Amino acid sequence: MPVDYLPILVMIAIVTAFAVIALTLSAMTGPRRPNPTKLSPYESGMPPFGSARRRFSIKYYLTAVLFILFDIEIIFFYPWAVLFRDLGWFGLSAMGTFMLVLLIGYVYVWRKGGFEWD
Amino acid sequence: MSLSVPDLNFRVIAPALIVALTALIVLLAELVTPAPRKRWLGVLGLIGLLIAAGATVGLWGAPASAFGGMVVADNFGLFLTLVILLGAALSILLALDFVRAHRVDQGEYYVLVLFAVVGMILMATATDLIVIFLALELLSLPLYILAAFKRADARSLEAGLKYFLLGAFSSAFFLYGIAFIFGGTGTTNLMKIADALAKNPRNDLLLVGAGLLLVGFAFKVALVPFHWWTPDVYDGAPTAVTAFMSVGVKAAAFGAFFRAFLVALPAFAFDWRIVLAALAVLTMTLGNVAALLQSNVKRMLAYSSIAHAGYILIALVAMGASGLSSALFYLLAYTLTNLGAFGAVIALSDGERERLEIRDWGGAARQYPFIAAMFAIFMLSLAGFPPLAGFTGKFLIFSAAVETGWAWLAVIGVLNSLVSAYFYLRPIVQMYMSEPVPGWDRIRVAPLVALALVLALIGVIALGLYPTPAIVMATGGFLR
Amino acid sequence: MDFFDNIFTNIYAWLAFWLHELLMGWNLPKDVESALVSAIMIILVIIVIILWMVLMVLILIWLERKNAARIQDRVGPNRVGPWGLLQPVADTIKMLIKEDILPENADRFVHTIAPMIVMMPPVLMFAVIPWGKGMVPVDLNIGVLWIIAVASIGTIGVFLGGYGSNNKYSLLGGMRAVAQMVSYEIPQVLTIVPIVLMVGSMSLVKINEAQSGWFGMQWFVFAFPVGTIAFVVYYLSALAEVGRTPFDIPEGESEIVAGYMTEYSGMKWALFYLAEYFNFFIVCVIGATLFLGGWNGPILPGYVWLVAKTYALVLLGMWIRMTWPRFRVDQLMNFAWKVLVPIALVNIVLAGVALPIFKMIGF
Repeated sequence: MPVDYLPILVMIAIVTAFAVIALTLSAMTGPRRPNPTKLSPYESGMPPFGSARRRFSIKYYLTAVLFILFDIEIIFFYPWAVLFRDLGWFGLSAMGTFMLVLLIGYVYVWRKGGFEWD
Repeated sequence: MSLSVPDLNFRVIAPALIVALTALIVLLAELVTPAPRKRWLGVLGLIGLLIAAGATVGLWGAPASAFGGMVVADNFGLFLTLVILLGAALSILLALDFVRAHRVDQGEYYVLVLFAVVGMILMATATDLIVIFLALELLSLPLYILAAFKRADARSLEAGLKYFLLGAFSSAFFLYGIAFIFGGTGTTNLMKIADALAKNPRNDLLLVGAGLLLVGFAFKVALVPFHWWTPDVYDGAPTAVTAFMSVGVKAAAFGAFFRAFLVALPAFAFDWRIVLAALAVLTMTLGNVAALLQSNVKRMLAYSSIAHAGYILIALVAMGASGLSSALFYLLAYTLTNLGAFGAVIALSDGERERLEIRDWGGAARQYPFIAAMFAIFMLSLAGFPPLAGFTGKFLIFSAAVETGWAWLAVIGVLNSLVSAYFYLRPIVQMYMSEPVPGWDRIRVAPLVALALVLALIGVIALGLYPTPAIVMATGGFLR
Repeated sequence: MDFFDNIFTNIYAWLAFWLHELLMGWNLPKDVESALVSAIMIILVIIVIILWMVLMVLILIWLERKNAARIQDRVGPNRVGPWGLLQPVADTIKMLIKEDILPENADRFVHTIAPMIVMMPPVLMFAVIPWGKGMVPVDLNIGVLWIIAVASIGTIGVFLGGYGSNNKYSLLGGMRAVAQMVSYEIPQVLTIVPIVLMVGSMSLVKINEAQSGWFGMQWFVFAFPVGTIAFVVYYLSALAEVGRTPFDIPEGESEIVAGYMTEYSGMKWALFYLAEYFNFFIVCVIGATLFLGGWNGPILPGYVWLVAKTYALVLLGMWIRMTWPRFRVDQLMNFAWKVLVPIALVNIVLAGVALPIFKMIGF
């Protein structure tokens, strides 16, 4: 029921208000005495060099793709789990097949070194 | 609460299931196969395709539907399934040596081809827009990767990325169209759309949806305003992939295209026939004229494939049983011929060095008379010379158009064929009448490629001389 | 005991009734009036929940500092209030009046919005927890799914914080945090499936009810082996998900300063800090709800039981934090993908196959 989510909506509003008020209060009460050294990005006391927004390792991309794959597949388990009793052996065999295909992909990624972090 | 299980008629999707199972087996086998024996994975894939073809033949003649009417095994779909399996098998034969020569000898190649085949088969047999969309994605995603399969080659990567971006774009159009159609009729099942349309013929949402659907299909089969990706992708992708892509995607996408428009939207035929006729004229003309200007064989073949999409579109405009069977026959002939043409390019390449420019073909007939002769025959068949398969196909399509009162379209098609003869003859002239180009004289033609070429050649000649059995098979029609 | 068990629900009913009476005098139309009453009650409940949450977290922070001190043979905070109880409050006020530094070239909008986004999900998760008998602020029939979905929003905030700071350490920390959070989300999501499977519903209230009776022997953690394995996998991946030692690679101070929080100061930093403890607390509450029977327990009122179980998990987490060294990045990723994921998958198979067999032999 959409109306069930009304309190959630109110909650989002109140939490946002809380965060905004906290930040505004802090901006009002806190001092503001910037100087170039204070504003420069922290690099262990050395003068910063280059841009911080640089390219990062492909490993992170791989992890993200694996996450998307697995997360989407895993979500399919939930409807099945809820209706487990009604679906019976038919559901179990169907989910077994699904799991098998998932496992084949998992084994493939493992053997190909997709989970190695080096 | 008890749930009713829909009629899961697994038998109906047996060909796709077998290919998918083969793909999974090959994927697992890839992990334990040492590098020098990767080609056996291709052989494994070939065996799977053969078994799937056997299953397809077993389903022949007894139309049935499965999964609550989402997939059917009617003769139209089964014919296309056979065409796709044939194309995939020939392209794997071409690839077995090709991937080694290009140092991309990985089992994933075959896995991706097989997954793409699953998508193609489902697309040709699906009767629900959602399944068509899923199948479209299933066939596209492996092809994006395959187009970029030669990772060390910037042009291959460019092709893959270009194909991916434009393909994703067209998928969005397609999906948006499905959403509109669902909004207009409340269903995604093709037969039920037709029913809803019969009750309520004025349906603006559906009209918008059909237009977007048309754009999506036009991207996939490369009709003219949406053809820009084709030359770059066909040129950049590894040749074996181009060969597979040019035939498989066409067969599958045209299958779904025909089914969607003829089963779901016949009530709108008056509107879309004119649009499609205009698109066909544009596609044929632009494809052929642009092909005239190419000096690169792969780009020329890419533009020629655009032109052929235009010819097949004439069959859709013609509608009716003769249009349908002529399109199926044409797709079969085109599959064999085009694979043969790309196969000849692969056969006469020297390791990673390929004869891409037409001038490289100079004097090839003197050095490799058999391959050159076969290449010449494939070119003539593409141009539509009798007594080859291409001629029969064109004859059937044009006569179907004339029968249904689209004679002017047929005339434009014939004129286009005449224009196309010029560029199809250019490599032949080069091969037979020029001096050999130095540096191309020590090529070992791989036996498997030669085998694929001979098979395609037999098919092309047989379809030209004795087309009756194939035409009879192609007249099966839809299960409605 | 019923009196204490129902005290909050009674207060709620009494307040609603009183509001109703109050509004009677205004002569509003019937439906407007009931809508107004429920709106006010919703807002009241949510304010109470947020206050409750802040209270819990302040206690949690105090507890952690005291605990760390005891384990390291120190005294810990003892100046502000009795036993240093007001220390977190003092800290908060200090943070509030500190300068907010925005590093040069940082993305002001992203830098500001990141801590707010990080704070949001745990609060939203608080709303669906059944705190006691009939004490569920929002009873969603997809409670578990809601928790999973909302939990993943925090990742975005962490990444924005790392990206918007214009600092190499921040970016590195943000990337590491995202990689870790998404990796551990997989086993966490997988391991809840057997619970949903045993209950047949995703509603947290139903899951709680399924664990009642038999003086705790119906808790899913005792449903050997499926529930026990699920609990262990859940707890480990939850610890990693909220980035606590030994899984605190994203902010490993010996490697990358303070990770994505490097360039944060003042109240923004405090929000990150708060969110971290909110998250830790909420995963313990969810663990107690899903595996330890939630508010089910003898004699004492339900909400006391839930809080007690939660703090048991919290203390366990603190113990682990104080006594274990940090993992390396590769160990961390391997642990998620090569240990927890297969265990969780096998566990689902076990649950799926074992349950029908148990049913067949009439267990």
